[in-house]
Amino acid sequence: MTATSSTLRKTIDYAYQIVATLFSFLAIFILLIILYEVLKRGFAAINFSFFFHLPKPPGEEGGGIANALLGSFVITTIASLIGIPLGIMSAIYSSEFGRGSLFSKYIRFSTEVLSSVPSIIIGLFVYAIVVLPMKSFSTIAGAIALSIITIPLIHRVTEEMLFMVPDTLREAGLALGVEYPVVVRKICLKSARIGVITGILTAIARISGETAPLLFTSLNSPFWNVSLFKPMATANVTVFVYAMSPYDDWRQIAWGASFLITASILLITILSRILFKRVKNG
Amino acid sequence: MDSVIENVATAKQLTSSLDNVSSEIELIVKNLSFYYGKTKALKNISFPIYNKKVTAIIGPSGCGKSTLLRCFNRIFELYRDQRAEGEIIFRSENILSRETHLPTLRAKIGMIFQKPTPFPLSIYDNIAFGMKLYQKLSRSEIREKVEIALRKAALWEEVKDKLLEPATSLSGGQQQRLCIARAIAIEPEVILMDEPASALDPIATAKIEELIEELSQKYTIVIVTHNMQQAARVSDYTAFLYLGELIEFSQTEEFFTNPKESKSKEYLTGRFG
Repeated sequence: MTATSSTLRKTIDYAYQIVATLFSFLAIFILLIILYEVLKRGFAAINFSFFFHLPKPPGEEGGGIANALLGSFVITTIASLIGIPLGIMSAIYSSEFGRGSLFSKYIRFSTEVLSSVPSIIIGLFVYAIVVLPMKSFSTIAGAIALSIITIPLIHRVTEEMLFMVPDTLREAGLALGVEYPVVVRKICLKSARIGVITGILTAIARISGETAPLLFTSLNSPFWNVSLFKPMATANVTVFVYAMSPYDDWRQIAWGASFLITASILLITILSRILFKRVKNG
Repeated sequence: MDSVIENVATAKQLTSSLDNVSSEIELIVKNLSFYYGKTKALKNISFPIYNKKVTAIIGPSGCGKSTLLRCFNRIFELYRDQRAEGEIIFRSENILSRETHLPTLRAKIGMIFQKPTPFPLSIYDNIAFGMKLYQKLSRSEIREKVEIALRKAALWEEVKDKLLEPATSLSGGQQQRLCIARAIAIEPEVILMDEPASALDPIATAKIEELIEELSQKYTIVIVTHNMQQAARVSDYTAFLYLGELIEFSQTEEFFTNPKESKSKEYLTGRFG
């Protein structure tokens, strides 16, 4: 009796292990296939003109996406410049100055809601409040849309990192007669900084992959754009437009851009993992 | 001025049973009550704390001894639902009043915690941190003061060659002495210690106790301890708390040899706590 049930238990245990292992391999396998395909098809498109030339009409040799790469960089940078301070400030308020208050509970809840709003809706929202009044798609509209996506991500990670700072450290700072804002800045944020940086990187990785909100905001452009108030090409929207086109050379460029986007996200993610390890190891 | 005389009078009344009433009084606790939300953790506590003496607050776990200590620098105010009622008179002013400027108060009344609390900074910056906020000092003056503070905390010899290393690299006992040095560096008058040796091994504990004795020449010390032997060794006065009430306040020698209250006797003989 005992022997049988023990055998059965072991068999079930074994079966679970096999199934779990299979599924984890499947998960990794899918990622590897994506990376392989993107690399195989995209790598060929990457050459000098890809990086340094403007797009050319289909059929013409040597077109690139230089303006879109610059556009992605500019929009992501501006979005970070708006989103990072807002996210960090709101987290500092809700976990430090507004400790335990009802208002900070509301803030926390709203950021949770905000983080689950589909990005396409954020795009539509920015279209309505920025693009329509300004009567033009623009770089700044794209940046605002992406910054709205980063705020809840950065808020949450900053708050989590601040929660990890023990109260005894705050007390020790206050007990020296240090004003609370100084304790927050010089002790709490300092203890939390690597975690916060990790969170910022994760948020940047996330918005590097966003396309939907940009379709309604920064749109696209075949030219060099130096104005914040004009449409701006981005790598993501280029992939969207080129991949849907019937031209082989454009689709080739779309693969190249996909490869670049994937590679940069992978790079940022790996970097943030490495940093996060340092947090965990103290 | 009237209030000073009145306060001293109250304190003398409070301590009329003690032999040594001539000692100068640093702090007077008057009808102090404390609440965690609706729970009353301290009930109408009154006693004096003498200048440049060591006062031990003892009692079983949960009796409110740490709570009492945390009233002297109002550190409890970090938490929303904690609240103190009554008075604590320091330099003729009630420190529990709304008008008290907390950073100034806390610069005068320093605190050492149960677990060492080094900041995520270098050993040097840990000491310099609080100092820089109060005095406009030159680099060399800060250096000098850091050294003085570390010497006073009997840590200088152990750390003088690694001042720029992170404070967290020190041992527990060293970290605690670093925290003492950090508190001394801003030149307080009173040092509050919340079970400063309970997380330390016997040797580190002995060092801290030695340090307390030395510091009491210059500072008024209030120490919370669950260790009765420690209270007997280091303190001049003892306040015995039980369930949020002050059962007895006496000179330490008297408290341990001839306690007045029956609860004190029971506690000393280990019948509870």
